[in-house]
Amino acid sequence: MTALTRIDEAGSTPLATASLNGILRVLTCGSVDDGKSTLIGRLLWDASDLFDDQRATLERGRRIDGGHPDYSLLVDGLVAEREQGITIDIAWRYFDTATRRFVVIDSPGHEQYTRNMASGASHADVAIMLVDARAGIKKQTRRHAAILDLVGLKRVVLAVNKMDLAGWSEPRFREIERDFQVIAARFHFDEAVAIPVSAALGDNVARPSDSMDWYRGPTLLSHLESLPSRGAEAAGPFRMPVQTVLRQGVDFRGLAGTVSSGVIHVGDPVVDPVSGRAANVKRIATFDGDLRRAAVGQAIVLQLDTDIDVSRGAILAAAEGRPHPARDLGTHLVWLSDTPFDTDNGYLLRTATDLVPVSAMEITSRLDLETLAEHPASTCAANDIVLARISLGRPTALDLFRNAGETGSFMLVDPISGATVAGGVVTELAGAEPKGARKAGVFVLSRDNLEGGLCADLGWGAADQVEFRRRANEVALLLSAAGIAVELDLQS
Amino acid sequence: MSAPLSHLDLLEAESIHIFREAAAQFRKPVLMYSIGKDSTVLLHLARKAFFPEKPPFPLLHVDTTWKFREMIAFRNKTARDLGLDLIVHTNQDGLARGINPIDHAPSVYTDVMKTAALKQALDMHGFDAAFGGARRDEEASRAKERVFSFRAAGHRWDPRKQRPEMWRLLNGRLGSGETVRVFPLSNWTEKDVWRYLAREKLDVVPLYFAAERPTVERNGQLLVVDDERFKLEPGEHVEARRVRFRTLGCYPLTAAVASEASDIEGVVAETLAARTSERVGRLIDHDQSGAMEKKKQEGYF
Repeated sequence: MTALTRIDEAGSTPLATASLNGILRVLTCGSVDDGKSTLIGRLLWDASDLFDDQRATLERGRRIDGGHPDYSLLVDGLVAEREQGITIDIAWRYFDTATRRFVVIDSPGHEQYTRNMASGASHADVAIMLVDARAGIKKQTRRHAAILDLVGLKRVVLAVNKMDLAGWSEPRFREIERDFQVIAARFHFDEAVAIPVSAALGDNVARPSDSMDWYRGPTLLSHLESLPSRGAEAAGPFRMPVQTVLRQGVDFRGLAGTVSSGVIHVGDPVVDPVSGRAANVKRIATFDGDLRRAAVGQAIVLQLDTDIDVSRGAILAAAEGRPHPARDLGTHLVWLSDTPFDTDNGYLLRTATDLVPVSAMEITSRLDLETLAEHPASTCAANDIVLARISLGRPTALDLFRNAGETGSFMLVDPISGATVAGGVVTELAGAEPKGARKAGVFVLSRDNLEGGLCADLGWGAADQVEFRRRANEVALLLSAAGIAVELDLQS
Repeated sequence: MSAPLSHLDLLEAESIHIFREAAAQFRKPVLMYSIGKDSTVLLHLARKAFFPEKPPFPLLHVDTTWKFREMIAFRNKTARDLGLDLIVHTNQDGLARGINPIDHAPSVYTDVMKTAALKQALDMHGFDAAFGGARRDEEASRAKERVFSFRAAGHRWDPRKQRPEMWRLLNGRLGSGETVRVFPLSNWTEKDVWRYLAREKLDVVPLYFAAERPTVERNGQLLVVDDERFKLEPGEHVEARRVRFRTLGCYPLTAAVASEASDIEGVVAETLAARTSERVGRLIDHDQSGAMEKKKQEGYF
């Protein structure tokens, strides 16, 4: 009801065009035992515009201790999950309060689904970690904190649930809160808040608790409403990964993409870090007319004052603090595939819009999810979090993840099955070595190798050059799958 | 400083991003155009994504021959006005066998005239990617859907083998025999679709607006009689009622709701205050437990 009432009160805003003030994506993590699905169900039940038929479904459903509806039924979607009573995949839920859109990303808690949690967390603006007040912080809480940190979450909330079953005890809550702060301090969170709640009874979820007058902080919902919307913080250097080139007639060659960091104005200089070529922004074009300025989150088309021949895969960046044309990376990644890492398997590195053959990859250590200690390792399998060194077949523009998240993250792709095998972030960067200084035993696949035969049918047009690069990538993959270290040198 | 982006601005930009990624990564995409409000938004976003060019893919409509006549007229006018290629496909085998939504169970009809028809059309034209207007808020199994939803050979969807998606990265590399369904509206809700239609001043099929229509009440649902193929059951009679549709499908399978909302502002107001979800009006969803998940595994959009 809230959205409707608020808009009517505002009076001057025509109802039909009403929009909410932004979006907040909230990850929930914890195990089934901690009451995670119940907490989300409770949020939907108390705070949202849930439909009557959805409410009726819940009323008809099974009841749990105490006779209240099983709120978790609002969340667990797949038949397999309902049968097993567990959450195996991330689920997305949407609800509106008077001021904003909330997107709840519900992720599985079990250790064997660490990868699903990491995927879910990478989409979130804030994470709610759930613990049972009786059990307190568990190893799983530490593991979850490590995953949230890996994917770049800056805001975390610890919901200390089932306070009703812990006698609404303040000393118990404070003890858990202290343990949580110790863990949070290990990572790179900007904000870590603990809130005592009872999801089943609704205390401190959407309404303040009558049973915990010692707690003076916000309810979970009011805390979430106070956080900034996604896209509201335009800090950071300008970055726009180029998705595609759009043309009109002979005069307009536009570089289409989404601003992934910072702000751009007409007249600003931009640079392609790999070629080093620079130009100024002539137009910021959109379907709805030209803009003078565009900021993080906006999908635009940039026309430059000189054609510097950039296309998909490039990043347009502010000249100051530009991304590196990186060839050797230090990375932190989570292995997503059921097939373990294999040094003989060729991999592709997918950045924001580029797809680059990996010429060599080495695992250096693995995170012990029990102790959070790094142990030397050379292998990794599903759900493992590892440090790895990756060498690329050709340089591509990348940032350190901590400086610019979207242009500092990547996925590893199996070239044959196409499967996404890992997701990771860049922690160290080293650029291309000067020509002639290449390591012994590395085959350099050059433009000359390809032009005479395989690519003899291709000319110098843009489409042909895209196809040229595609074939070069594929050849590099086949060679590396055959055990030959290969580097691409496609400069003309 | 400009005002921060509203939630509709953020959703629009995300959808444009998805369209551009898919068009850049797949060889031969197609836009599944089902004429309804979601398709209208989808098509509008596609036009924005590739401006100043036209969307670099055709529209595909799977015509069961049981769509409302106003839908077909709207479809043809839209394609003509925008100068877009429109492919219309009907399962001729199903048509020859007389499969229809009146004499056959909804699950059989949907399987033959929609699911099988869609697979035929995708295979016939060799499309490797199909844009669809599905939203995660529509139904519980869709809440787990990916933006790039991969289908094994035969178009089967295995919820346990979905590719993880992280950050804004979209991996469109296809394995042998794989195709993909792309859902640019994944994060939109029904309310967003209406708000956006109003904000962008987009035309929709007039069936979405309340008007006097010939209706029959059956099992507590209001069905609209669109042509002479509708069969009255004993005791039923046709009655004029002011109704509109929240969702459009095949006419004997899509229920109308009583409404006074005769323009887009009225519909937005009703939608924002709605007390039931839109799929209540989709009869096929209630056919069996886990109905939508099962249909999806078989290749339904």
